[in-house]
Parts: sequence; C-alpha cells; structure tokens
Amino acid sequence: MSGILREARFLLRDRGALLWIALALLLSAAATAFGIAEVREQRTTIATLLGEDARDRADALAGQSDWGGAAYAAFHLTYAPPSDLAFAALGQRDIAPWLHRVRMLALEGQIHEADTKNADFGLIGRFDFAFLAAAVAPLLLILMLHDLRAGEQAAGRHDLLVATAGDGARLWLPRAGVRLAALSLALLLPFWAGSVIEGADGLTVLAASGLVLAALFAWWLIIEAAARSQGSPAVLLAALVGIWLALALLVPAGAKAAIEASHPLPDGAEILMLQREAVNDAWDLPKEATMGPFLARHPHWRSHARIDRPFEWKWYYAFQQVGDQRAQPIVEAYREGRLARDEAAGLAAFLSPASLVERGFERLARTDTRAMIAYEDSVRDFHAQLRAFYYPFLFRDPPYDPLAFERLPRYEPTP
Amino acid sequence: MSGAVRIAREEWRLWSRSRVALVAALIVAVLVVVTSILTAMNVTDDAERRAARQESAEATFLAQPDRHPHRMVHYGHYAFRTPPPLAAFDPGVDAVTGQSIFLEGHRQNTAMFADTRAGADLGGFAAMTPANIYQLLLPLLLIIVGHAVVLREREDGTLAVLLAQGQSGLALAGGKALALTGVLGLFLLPIAVLALNAVAAGEPALTAALMIAGYALYLAVWAALVLAVSLWVRQRSVALGLLVLAWLMVALVMPRIGINAGSAAVDAPGKIESDLVMLAQQRKLGDGHNAADPAFEALRKQVLEQYEAESVEQLPINWRGVVAGYSEAKLTNLMNDFANARMQQEARQSRIVTLFGLASPTIAVGAASRTLAGTDLATHHRFLREAEALRFDFVQSLNKLHATGLAYADDIQRSSDPEAEQRTRVNASAWALLDTFRFEPDPAARRAGRAMLPLAMMLGWLILLGGAIALGARRLSP
Repeated sequence: MSGILREARFLLRDRGALLWIALALLLSAAATAFGIAEVREQRTTIATLLGEDARDRADALAGQSDWGGAAYAAFHLTYAPPSDLAFAALGQRDIAPWLHRVRMLALEGQIHEADTKNADFGLIGRFDFAFLAAAVAPLLLILMLHDLRAGEQAAGRHDLLVATAGDGARLWLPRAGVRLAALSLALLLPFWAGSVIEGADGLTVLAASGLVLAALFAWWLIIEAAARSQGSPAVLLAALVGIWLALALLVPAGAKAAIEASHPLPDGAEILMLQREAVNDAWDLPKEATMGPFLARHPHWRSHARIDRPFEWKWYYAFQQVGDQRAQPIVEAYREGRLARDEAAGLAAFLSPASLVERGFERLARTDTRAMIAYEDSVRDFHAQLRAFYYPFLFRDPPYDPLAFERLPRYEPTP
Repeated sequence: MSGAVRIAREEWRLWSRSRVALVAALIVAVLVVVTSILTAMNVTDDAERRAARQESAEATFLAQPDRHPHRMVHYGHYAFRTPPPLAAFDPGVDAVTGQSIFLEGHRQNTAMFADTRAGADLGGFAAMTPANIYQLLLPLLLIIVGHAVVLREREDGTLAVLLAQGQSGLALAGGKALALTGVLGLFLLPIAVLALNAVAAGEPALTAALMIAGYALYLAVWAALVLAVSLWVRQRSVALGLLVLAWLMVALVMPRIGINAGSAAVDAPGKIESDLVMLAQQRKLGDGHNAADPAFEALRKQVLEQYEAESVEQLPINWRGVVAGYSEAKLTNLMNDFANARMQQEARQSRIVTLFGLASPTIAVGAASRTLAGTDLATHHRFLREAEALRFDFVQSLNKLHATGLAYADDIQRSSDPEAEQRTRVNASAWALLDTFRFEPDPAARRAGRAMLPLAMMLGWLILLGGAIALGARRLSP
C-alpha cells in the first residue's frame, strides 16, 4: 500500500508520464465528443426522415386510384438507429447503409442501394473511442513504460534501488501499476462521462471498460517481458514499437487478406443483373412463366391467379417477386459468405489485441457486421410484410378504398 | 563538401552493420513487395472483370428482343468504373465506393457493392496497400533507423571530437542529411518500379513522375523531422519517444480527427435524405407515366399549337412519348441539382480534411496520391456524373423513339388489347442507340493541378523543418 502511495507521489512529479496521461485524456475526450455529436446527428436525421417519409407516403397515396398504383407509389423508410454505445464505436455504420426506402417492387433491386457517406470517411476512418483504445492507447502505454528500469539505470540509481527493495517485483510492480492505472483512468473517464450522457446500459459499459483494461494489461505484460531483456531504452522502444506494429497493424491486415482470399463471395453485381434480367424478361414471356413459379411459393392465390389482359398489377408484382426468387440462391450465398468472413475474422482477432478490442466494442455497440446484416434481415422481413399486406388487395381486387392504408405495416427497428 | 560525404559514408557503414536497421528494413522491404504484388494482381483482375462486364452489359442491351421502348427504359443499363493504372499503387476510394451503377429511367441509383461492405472486419486499419505502407510504415522505419544520426555521435563522445577538428555544425548536419537522403533514395525504388509499370500500362509520365516526387517529398519531410529532433534533443530515448509520438499524432490521429472535423463541420445529407426532399418537389412536376396528369396541361397546349392539332389523338407523334421525354428532362434537371448539391457538400468535407494536411503531412500525401492515381473522391464524382449523362442519353433516345416510332392509339390500348400491344413493340435494331461507355481518369495535367495544394503543403513543411535543422546545426555543441 505504501508502495502505491509512494509511486503515486512520484508520478505526480514525473512530467514525461504526466504528458502521456494528459494526452490520453485529451484524445479520449475528443473521440467521445465527436462520437456523441455524430450519433446525435444520425438520430436527428432519422427523426426528420420519419416525418418526411410519412408526409411523402400520404402525398403519394392521395393521387392513386387502384391498389397496384398505390403499392407502386408508396415508399417506406427503414432504418437502424444507433445504439446508446454507438458513440464509442461507429464501426460499420460508416460503410454499410443504415437507411433504406423500400416499396413493393423486387427487393433485390432496392436493398443493395448504398446510402453512402463521403467515401473518404470510409477510407480513412473516424477517430472514435474504440480506435483510441485499440490502437493508440497501447502505443501511449509503451511510450510511458518502456524506460522505467532504463531510466533509473541512466540516473545511476537502478542497482541501489533494486538492492534496497530486496525483491525487484516490489519496486517495479507498484511503479508500473500506478502508471497503468492512471493511463486507464484518463482513457476511461471521458468514455464513462459519454456513456452517462448517452444513457448507455451499465453492464455494457462495464464490459467495454473491462475490455479496455484487459487489453492494456496484456500490453503491459508484453512490455514487461521485453523490459527484462535489459536493452537500452532506445532499443527497447524500437523493439516494442515493432511488436505494436505487428500486432495492431500487420496481423490484422494479413488476416484480413487471408480470410477474404479463402472465403470468396459471389460478385454482388451478379445479384442485381440476375434479378433485373428475371424481372424484365417477364414482360415478354407467357404469363404462366411468371405465375407458375409464383404460385409454387404462394399456392394460396391459385384460384385468383388468372391473367387475361396484357397488363395486370397482380402479374406485375408476381414477376417482381419471381425476380427476387430467382436471385435468392446468390443472395443467400452472399449473406452467408459475409457471415462466414465475419466469423473467421472473430477468430483471427484473437491474434491481435487491437482487433479484439475494436471488434468487441463494435459487438457491444451493435455496429458490427452481424448487426448490419441483422438490419438487412429486418428490412427483408418488413418487405415480406408489405407483400402480405398488398397481395389480398391485388389478387382479390376489392373496390379501392384508401382507408385500408391505415393498416399498412410499419417498420419497427429491432432494439 | 567532402567532409559531408565522408560523414554520410560513415553513417551508411554503421547502418549496414546495425542489426535493428537491417532487420527492420528487410521486413518493410518484404511487406512492400508482397503488398505491391497482391494489390497489382487485385487491381488488374478488377479492371479486366469490370471491362468485360461493361462489354457484356452493352451486348445484352443490344440483344434485347422487339419491345416497347419504355420497357427498355426500365430494362436499363450498367456503368462500371474501371480502375486506372496507378490504382495498383493506391486504390484509394475504390474499395469504399461501389464500382457499378444500374442506370434506368426516372432514377439515379447509387454505386453498389463496395468491397469494404463485404470485407472481413478486423478493426481500424484498412487493407494494406503499397500507398499505406509508404504513408504509415516507411516514416516509422525512418524514425527507428535515423533518430540517433546525431545523438549517437553525442553519446559516443565523437561529436566533441568532430567539432573540435573544425567540422562545422552545418557540415555535420549536411552529412547526416546526405546519409538520410541515401536511405530515401533506397525507399523510393519500389514506388519507382510501380510507377514505371503503370506507365507501361498507359499511365501518363507526368502523373507517374509526380507520384514519385510526392512520396519523395513526404519521406523527406519525415527525414527532416528525424534529423531536426536528433539535433535538438540531447537524449536518445527522449528523441525516439518524441518521434514516435509525432508519428502517432501525424499518421494515425490527425487524419481521423480531420475526418471527424469534416463530418461535424459540413452536414452532407445522405442520398435517401435528399431524395425525400426531392420527391416532394418531383410530385409537383407530374408523373411521366401518366400523360393525363394536370401538370402537363401547358405542354399539351404548346404541342397542339405547334402541330396545329385539335386533340392529342390528332398529333402526328405519340403524345405519351412526348410526355415521357418532357418529364424525364425536367426530372433529370431536378435530380442533377440535388446530386450536385450533395457532391459539393462532400467535396467541401474533403477539402476540410485536406486542409488538415497543414497539421499532418500524412493527410497531404494521401490526398496528393489519390488525386494523382485518379482514385480520389473527385474522380468518383466524375464517374457518377458521366454515368448519369450516359443514362440520360439512352433514356431520352428511347423516349424519342417512343414519341415517333409507335401510334398513340395503340399505345393507350396496349394494356388491354393484345394486338395493339404487339404493334407497340419496336424493332430490336433500334437498341443500337446505346453509346459505349469507358471510364477514363482525368487528363494528367488536370490531376497534377489538383494535387498542387497538398504537394505545396508538404513543401512548406520541408522548408520549415529545414529551417529548424539549420538553426539546430548552427548552435550544435557537444
């Protein structure tokens, strides 16, 4: 205990160490503030769009006179709101779309639309808390701890200190421990403040903090192991920076390349082309070529499926659905492939503490690949609800009654 | 000057004996070679595949059967962005933006299927490319190898000897600078090979040369920083600590802070957001599918007058086709206004990020590199504009065919009368109206012009650090 108090006093007089800690605090505050601002902007966007979307749909439906036309004109907003921890890890939200507007047409022509942000953002990446904790913090720890022993050696006190302390551990453990704790605190305080402001769930924040602490502890063990080699501070620092580089940068990049090479994905453009061909060919094919595959999926409508005229809405929407059915095998392969890559990346992340921390944060903040695919799934579910809503009107063709649209399905984001 | 050369030669001799320097250099060399080969293979593969896709999309369009022209408007077409030769060095935004756009009537679609969306997510750093290695790793290698160029002489006590022998501080710094320049020259070999390769693949010599010059400037800035710190600081571990901190801030933190700042300063609405605002305006323009929409009353009057006809049935042209062409033109104007506004906002964001190049040469070199390679945001925007021009062109040609190639009486009957429907089908030879599309990067001179600002930023840094070196060398004492 006295050792810790003594080291805390030393730390307060060590200007070098205080500089690293102040820097960590500053960066953490900046990352948190920027993250909260971005998440709030996204929430405002969603709130505004929800209002605009309802107005636009009302407007679109007002001018319609039949069910098919209404289904063609009415768009529906789907969205994935940022979670209350998303401020700390924006993750895939800069790359994958979290907003769509869908209607009754073939879904595969709509769901891959990318509501992209500025491409430079996705390329360079944001400075969020997860990046700070995963990549930058270990380097700060290395800078702070690498010359603990060597510093005393240079000052000529090393041997005396070790001799007086008797056991080396009693000397270096409190010294490094106090520094590690101070750096962790400097990183986590702004994050905690941000979590309180955002109203993040306590357990999630605890898990996230545990992740940061565990990773820093692992880095400390690496630094300790290297420090025992008794090299000069400069050589030690160079070696540690090399280790950091390997673990934070090269291993993830190598693993990413290897995973992507060993899990090839179907070309996304194929999905679109296949679906497009299927939908457009239908115009020139006999009606049975569409209604056959459609009824195979929806035998329920068999008694209403006669098409007499060159154009009928139920036939039109049937071939939209058949277009989706035709593309389904590739769509599933594409989805499964992305999930398989993500799973492999999850395993590979154990090779790199930096990847582990960042993926862990994205998981907790629900900004990881899985969460974005879950959002896509929810859009698919919603589109299926839309079809289930419209098919009775299209096939039974009751007199047009706009009041029915009050029962239109509403998109509910998955919590 | 022979003194400087001797000092430089001595430095080189020491480096060649230092295991740390050699091992680090070897690792980086292997990395450069491996990523260069992998990236070049990927990019060539992509280029070939996309060019093939583009050709097959054109062939499929031409091979469509006899159809109503409006079916072809919705059948649509694809535009693919093929990567330029220097993308093998810096693929830039290629992986983030989609590479193909579906083109159809009444809509501007987004580029779809970006690689990053389907990539394995291992956090922070993008995939390794030769450009990334030059931007991130080589400065770090320079720091590890060079932080002690002057400090070693100080710690070994040889600095005092050199100065006492009448060697001036400036000459000493000159020698060390020469030694570091030699290292730079070695570092620039791989990029020179890659640039030559790109020239062989059709890249203009100007952009290829400027690319090498840009990275030479960037590495020179780092070498100057290393030398300046080695001159000014008196302890080796402090110098290394400072330089690693500078690398951390300049190469890792500032670029991302720049992104945060750009995003916070300029609110660029996403496409869905701006589309919603646009839709409200679009409804006022009328629905081009419905020729009876009251929004077309003025047009009807004008066309009837022009052809001296009493009603649309008497017109020698198909009124529905006229409406389709008219509303497509109006709608396209509106969509282009919104698309341009969106692109301008994004360009403003990216300008803010580039201005952070004043604080971080890594941002400056990245901007210059993507611009010169033709893989920057501005080039992607031009791709979007050219794809849009292609879309408008074929859609309007089809609408013109719609107005002149079939009878109005048949056209309004085609949903209910199978024979009229047959008569509205236009002979497939008409699909040859489609233009071929090949996306080319900007001319070399224009790319060079755009890269001047970030290149000038790096030159500014070099001059500043050169001053710091001269000052430090002058007051150098043992």
